[in-house]
Amino acid sequence: MSATADKPTLPPEASYAGMIGRVADPVLERRPGRRWWIGFGATLLLTLGFAVCLAWLFIEGVGIWGINTPVVWGFAIANFVWWLGIGHAGTLISALLLITRQNWRASINRFAEAMTLFAATIAGLFPIMHLGRPYRFYWLVPYPNTMEVWPQWRSALVWDFAAISTYIIFSILFWYWGLIPDLATMRDRARGRIARYAYGAFSLGWRGSARHWQRHDALYRAMAGLAVPLVVSVHSVVGMDFAASLMPGWQETIFPPYFVVGAMFSGFAMVVTLAVLVRRGLGLQAVITERHFDGMGKIVLAGSVAMGISYLTEWFTTWYGGDRIEYEHLAYLFTGDYAPLYYVMLFCNVLVPQILWLGRMRRNIAVAFVVSIVINIGMWLERILIIWNTLSHTHLPSMRHVFYPTFWDWATLGCSIGLFAFLFFCFVRLVPSVAMHDLNKRLHQEKEARG
Amino acid sequence: MAWHAHAPIGEENARRGAALAFGRALDLLPRFDRAEVVLCLDADPLGPGPDQIRNGRAFAAQRQARAGAARFLRLYVLEPVMSLTGANADHHRPVHPGEFRDIAAWLAAELGAPLPRPDLPEERVRFLRAVAADLLAHRGTALVLAGEALAPELHALAHWMNARLAAPAEAIAPVWPPEQGGPASLADLVAAMRTGQADTLLILGANPAYDAPADLGFAEALRQVPFALHHGLHPDETAALCAWHLPAPHPLEDWGDLRSRDGTAAIIQPLIRPLYATRSSAALLGLLVGQLDLAGHDAVRETWRASRAPAEFETWWRRTVHDGVVPDSATPRLDPPEPRLPELPPATPSGGLALVLRPDASAWDGSFANNAWLQECPRPLTRQVWGNAALMGPEEAARRGLRQGDLVRLEAGGRSIEAPVLPQEGIAPGVVVLSLGYGRERAGAIGSGLGANAYALRRTDALWTVADAGLAKLGRRAPPVLAQEHQKLEGEARELLPLVPLGEALHDAGTSPAHELDPPGFYPDFPYEGYAWAMVIDTSLCIGCNACVLACQSENNIPVVGPEEVERGRDMHWLRIDTYVQEAGGEMRPGFQPVPCMHCEKAPCEPVCPVAASVHDHEGLNVQVYNRCIGTRFCQSNCPYKVRRFNFFGYADGQEYRNQGAPVIAAQRNPEVTVRARGVMEKCTYCVQRISAARRTAEKEKRSIAEGEVVTACQAACPTQAIRFGDLNKPGSEPSRLRREPHHYALLGHLGTRPRTTYLKRVRNPNPALEEGGG
Repeated sequence: MSATADKPTLPPEASYAGMIGRVADPVLERRPGRRWWIGFGATLLLTLGFAVCLAWLFIEGVGIWGINTPVVWGFAIANFVWWLGIGHAGTLISALLLITRQNWRASINRFAEAMTLFAATIAGLFPIMHLGRPYRFYWLVPYPNTMEVWPQWRSALVWDFAAISTYIIFSILFWYWGLIPDLATMRDRARGRIARYAYGAFSLGWRGSARHWQRHDALYRAMAGLAVPLVVSVHSVVGMDFAASLMPGWQETIFPPYFVVGAMFSGFAMVVTLAVLVRRGLGLQAVITERHFDGMGKIVLAGSVAMGISYLTEWFTTWYGGDRIEYEHLAYLFTGDYAPLYYVMLFCNVLVPQILWLGRMRRNIAVAFVVSIVINIGMWLERILIIWNTLSHTHLPSMRHVFYPTFWDWATLGCSIGLFAFLFFCFVRLVPSVAMHDLNKRLHQEKEARG
Repeated sequence: MAWHAHAPIGEENARRGAALAFGRALDLLPRFDRAEVVLCLDADPLGPGPDQIRNGRAFAAQRQARAGAARFLRLYVLEPVMSLTGANADHHRPVHPGEFRDIAAWLAAELGAPLPRPDLPEERVRFLRAVAADLLAHRGTALVLAGEALAPELHALAHWMNARLAAPAEAIAPVWPPEQGGPASLADLVAAMRTGQADTLLILGANPAYDAPADLGFAEALRQVPFALHHGLHPDETAALCAWHLPAPHPLEDWGDLRSRDGTAAIIQPLIRPLYATRSSAALLGLLVGQLDLAGHDAVRETWRASRAPAEFETWWRRTVHDGVVPDSATPRLDPPEPRLPELPPATPSGGLALVLRPDASAWDGSFANNAWLQECPRPLTRQVWGNAALMGPEEAARRGLRQGDLVRLEAGGRSIEAPVLPQEGIAPGVVVLSLGYGRERAGAIGSGLGANAYALRRTDALWTVADAGLAKLGRRAPPVLAQEHQKLEGEARELLPLVPLGEALHDAGTSPAHELDPPGFYPDFPYEGYAWAMVIDTSLCIGCNACVLACQSENNIPVVGPEEVERGRDMHWLRIDTYVQEAGGEMRPGFQPVPCMHCEKAPCEPVCPVAASVHDHEGLNVQVYNRCIGTRFCQSNCPYKVRRFNFFGYADGQEYRNQGAPVIAAQRNPEVTVRARGVMEKCTYCVQRISAARRTAEKEKRSIAEGEVVTACQAACPTQAIRFGDLNKPGSEPSRLRREPHHYALLGHLGTRPRTTYLKRVRNPNPALEEGGG
């Protein structure tokens, strides 16, 4: 990564105004093209589909899904963990790379943070949809009430609820704080009345004075310092939803770090996917360069290796522990009802990313795109398999039952992806997709380095 | 006027066998409570039917594996398909129905009958020799039972062997002896209908258009009867062919009387006023003889008044109604003459496929087909619900290239039906088994259109075994709905339901380590100062009859979810009977393990609930607060026993299956128990409402709850008293005593859950002569 930081990532002929124009013009000057309208329309339909899924769920009950007596958790929990994992990379990229002074992040951090925001919000919907009585979800909140009952603090779900809500609120603040100088730029460049007023209101009177910059950067760095432990904690807590149990395949101390690595891994993969699409869609080839893909590829590769080591550790400790139930669970992973999916998952998460050892492949945008999609499929499989393999194959053989997904399981997952894309289509038309001020800071550094 | 009677599941062969042996009709009642060695030849004394409770109770009395005083009879079973009796046998052999003649003859010869010994395979001879030696060694306490499917001659042979062994069995005159002016047969009626002799037909409480053997052609004949009237609970297949259907009240809606198996009479009192405008059969018959307003109450009283002195009658009536049974009304025991050795029937070639018909454990002969509780109750051993299937051994299925769920056409006597295949352990080669009571067209909202109608293949001369049946694969599939997949326990998993020989069970005290019941922990133990409720289930005594499952369902308002939901794995039973098969010594040895909530002292469900809906009470009950539950289902996902049940839909609350939401059905709910809404978790409560009632009574009388005062619904229904419930803080209580037995164990105790529901291992009493050689 340090190599990437030192090497120039932006084209040498770039100018400050040119960079701002590249980012701001697609929003302010150019009309949305036909491709945007098609995408917007299609994802709007899927979003409406999501509303239908929700409505049918609340009318009929969670029985519309494939969950059953032993496998009481299903797609809703897997989707939740998956979306939250995706929701990790934005804040992590932004904060961790900011602290470690990886300024090349400037090209990707804005839309990565937006991705975090949307993914975490969608993730937050799933645990509520999952409930048998969703209209009572607020009982997880410790608020003074006439029942005189508090949440049950030993439950990982209470920690989870606190962790997710903290994370979502923090992500919004962090994203918005980084956005303020750019909103002011947009306000200044906007020609329409409504745009000027809207950007003006949200830029909170930003004038770009030295004092503004000093305070902005101080708080931004402080938030980044808070973000890193928060990112680690939120997915650790999600891991504890499983680890703080008694079930074979869940009750493992490796789960919290393993979930964090998995989250970072899938999140970075999603950033790569979006980077390819945003770069192409908004014509930002000069802003998001092959060097960025090279850097992200290395992180994804590191994630893949860490995942592989986690799987190996899991298998080894199970074998070494010698517990009958755990051992049966391990055998079930490789030979049970879901074994083909397990092999597909290993292929997607461990085998395919190894291609990124080759620098040529890391810089090949098509390869990066395909690998990132494959990883996200693999990571979704991993999440559902954690649930299925443990709950379908529990201690008592009499209560072993396979999960069969229903139409509504798939529809809810598919439409949630549609909702995510819809939010993104809105995002790229309303907000600068790249942090312009950070980008020019980076450009300044590169020009200085070049002399 | 002529009276004909029809019972699809009768005892004709047994009666004719008794006539062959003793020259007169009599019923033989086995006395398990005095038996030590029992051999069943295709007999199912522990299976469904009127004898189950009596035999089960007596069987249990003789299967008490207790340290110090063990009484344990040994049970051998030879049968074509494993019955409940076979499942509880110490030695079980699947036998083709054609083989029973030779087996019975061989055994009788071994016991001293002047009969030629037929040629039998060596393995069979070795087995029979060991059985015969055991029977002879227990003269006076050895018993041979023949099943209804066997020919009358073999019944007579069994009588002969029992006389030889001085077997503990009692003979009584049949409660309704046919020679004393009893009804004529259905075959005679059909003949009369065909010739037009029967021009007016009254059918009371029978459904012969459905359950008569197909070769009689009853339905065809009924169409020729100018005026036919049907009186019964439901407008069924027969009613559809009659000019009129008259609705009858349920037996519990009106006065009546009945006789039990040994002749003891009982008075039926109505439990509820009739729900609909119905007339009982007594009222109907009264109308026919000119008594226009005969009420059931009067009819029953008149019947019983006849044989009593008028002055004593009122006192007698009140006492009898209060007690429920008529004292000393059992049929007197007979001293049967020395049985004759019968002529044996010619040996039947047993080459072809034999279709074995059996009553269904739930639908019985089909008359219970419309009972939703019974339909959803997993059949013993197969665990099938909502239907029947063509059962065959796994090897037989593999040989014919059939997989579970393949549809096959079964053919016999020119008629055929289609049924799905369900491979099942414990079925003899060359045998396919189908249960009666399915394929009903007009059973009602619940029972219509389920399963295959085995009556279509039944013949008057082959009521139970149809030789040379045809079987063809159809290439279509209709997988049967199973509440559990078949489970074989292998290797270390056998610790879940250990199957131990008698001697080992009671002497090897080290088999259940104490740390599994009371593992070390960081926290101080919670002191249970008042009561500490606990349950111990003796798996040796569990015969797998399902009575506890239905008792629990009725007590606790457990909804029926229907076959589609069961198929998705969403049945709601709070108490299930886990059935595991262990293979050893060439035998399939099933075991039954009723699993209610374990009420763990360190319950894994409690710390994971975010809203404290799953909590512990001060008496050790793990309780679920329904109106606190928001349905995260974390409790169930963390329950190692998976005893919790979730309302995925409003099964009892707005989204009921078929007619289950009808007011008349909702009215049967127990008012003491909450009806659960959609989206909440529920589970066994140890019948907390009964504990609460006992506590109120005790507190009013200023005393503590006595031992045996709280009886859970499952415990009350168990015919073998395998389930014991009580207070662990009383050292003399049943669970306290049973917990000190050497073969006591906690299911998954090593997890540290400290379950309050614990088990006694399943004890077998193998014959050493058969055990050592591997049988």
